[in-house]
Amino acid sequence: MVDPIFSDAIVFASLLALLSIGLTLTYLTTRVPNFAHASFATIGVYIALVATRIWEVSPYFSLPIAFVISGLVAVALYTFILKPLIRRRASQAIQMIATLAFDLVVIAMLNIFADFVVKTFQVTSREFTLRSYDAELAGLPMIVFVAPLTIALLALTLFVVLKKTKFGIAMRAATENSDLSETVGINVKMVYGVSWMLGGGLAGIAGALMSLWFQGDPNLGPLLIPSVFAASIVGGFMSIYGAIAGGVLIGLTEVLGTRFLAGEFGSWLIAYRPLIPLVFIVVTLMLAPRGIAGLKWSRLWRHGSRV
Amino acid sequence: MVLESETVFIIDLLAIFAIYVIINLSLNLEFGYTGIPNFGKVLAVGAGAFVAASIPGRIFAGMAGIEGDYITDNLAIVSQINMWLVDNTGIGFAIFFLTLGIAAVVGGGLGIITSYPAIRLRGDYLAITLLAFGESIRIIGNNFTPLVGGTLGVQVPDPLSFLPDEMRFPVATVGLVLIAAVVFIFSEKMVRSPLGRLLRAVRDNEVAAESLGKNSTQIRIRIIMVSAALAAIGGALYAFYVGGTIAFAYDRASWTFWPFLMILIGGLANNKGVLIGTLIFVTLRKIIIFYKDSLEGYVPFDAVWLDFLLLGIILLLILLYRPQGIFTEKPTATIANRFDTPKSGAKKLFNMLFR
Repeated sequence: MVDPIFSDAIVFASLLALLSIGLTLTYLTTRVPNFAHASFATIGVYIALVATRIWEVSPYFSLPIAFVISGLVAVALYTFILKPLIRRRASQAIQMIATLAFDLVVIAMLNIFADFVVKTFQVTSREFTLRSYDAELAGLPMIVFVAPLTIALLALTLFVVLKKTKFGIAMRAATENSDLSETVGINVKMVYGVSWMLGGGLAGIAGALMSLWFQGDPNLGPLLIPSVFAASIVGGFMSIYGAIAGGVLIGLTEVLGTRFLAGEFGSWLIAYRPLIPLVFIVVTLMLAPRGIAGLKWSRLWRHGSRV
Repeated sequence: MVLESETVFIIDLLAIFAIYVIINLSLNLEFGYTGIPNFGKVLAVGAGAFVAASIPGRIFAGMAGIEGDYITDNLAIVSQINMWLVDNTGIGFAIFFLTLGIAAVVGGGLGIITSYPAIRLRGDYLAITLLAFGESIRIIGNNFTPLVGGTLGVQVPDPLSFLPDEMRFPVATVGLVLIAAVVFIFSEKMVRSPLGRLLRAVRDNEVAAESLGKNSTQIRIRIIMVSAALAAIGGALYAFYVGGTIAFAYDRASWTFWPFLMILIGGLANNKGVLIGTLIFVTLRKIIIFYKDSLEGYVPFDAVWLDFLLLGIILLLILLYRPQGIFTEKPTATIANRFDTPKSGAKKLFNMLFR
């Protein structure tokens, strides 16, 4: 029997990676750290709840629905709020506040929805878990295999899409230099919209998967967002592979690092776990603001080569 | 004498208004005038509240010779202190002002720490770093029990305990409004001085300000310190007003996001805007909470979420359709402007209100 802490670490790291891929995709386009990103995942959590408890299907069927709905909410944020603000050249801080305000609206809606679900269907909609609805594989819950597999598949898909398809090349061009790509006929606004759809959708999938392992609650977003930011920032905020690496690093450190330190110094340390992502954020931004992706790896490997 | 519920409503509204005015003025100095996106405002506010929760009570207990562990026997000790304070009003006030001073010093010290990233990073990276700073204070307060009693919180001694119950809150409110007025005048004087123009120069064009020989790094450090000290005083006053401190009340939404919302509604870099924005926000929230129970029948959910929804939507609308807020930023009146005094009374009134 495997120590459950390892399952915990695997699931948490995979979900953080998934969330920070999404955050990075949206940051690449508009350069605004989206505070509402983790709440897109909470939307996914509630879609999984509805699918499992009300429609009574397997929680895995909720993944595509979560992708579409969270994606559309993200597109709404981009189209109706960020796009007009960018057109008016609002500062980055103002755009961040706008995402915070949007987050507030989403959280309020989720809470209202949670109350509605309780009253109408008599289904627990706060601090619930869908763990018992998960299938089993080799004595472990299926999520332990599904979560990392999703990341692997996604990394492969994104690699192919971004490097080999016309859309991917257009997207990379639009994020590098939007004015120049417009002159060669790329519809930059459309490309950005699709990035937001993907980013929000991936968060939705992460949320739907999360409901199988962690407790779901309408106010999950603000609790989760420091970890997601930490993962993206450690990954460099501009690289999808950096985001995966950052997610895995933060996820494993939070779960296994806390366990290890608590074993060494005593269990009082466990309560300070939320400090870990904050420390990562501050240290990364102060010492290596371009994160893992910005480190000059070739310099570490090949001496003498000019980087 | 028992106060009417309407009177209580207005007294409480004014007190919360005064506290938020202090904090918002300090945020306006930072964000409105100097352009530092302090997403960790809660750090200084929380520090002030924690000072008020942990220091004066221990001093009083020492002076009054009350035995026991301050955190575990907190309720008993603080009620004994409050009884002792009835006969020692003078000492009570002295320690109260000393606490505000300590809060300001601690806040200023945290300001220096905050300024370390603020002079090295810009834009979103700075905002996220400061956010991380702000988050950490709640986590530490929640878990490090000797500070503010962890998840149980602690009581704060009440220097006004010599007053009868129904007079305590009105008097506290008057005091808070007076302190807020002093802070308002201080910050108005500050932004109308050459320093105020320097702040805007640093915000709008740092390179140009430096080419004129201004030290923009130093000015950023100073303004963060002053602003953090003011916010800490606000936090300490809040702790004294409500008579207790609990770490999880010092969250991102209440003490970072709401202040941003208020100064954005009122208008950035305009202290009158801060007043009106704070008044709108505080009144709206109070009204929603006040009528919460009567709303319960009409909406199929907890009415608390209405205020999140409404405030979020209001802020988005303001950002989209009136980004300058209710009062726009005005050029400060310089000496030359004082000579063209307006003739008519109406014009004078207009100038007083909107210039």
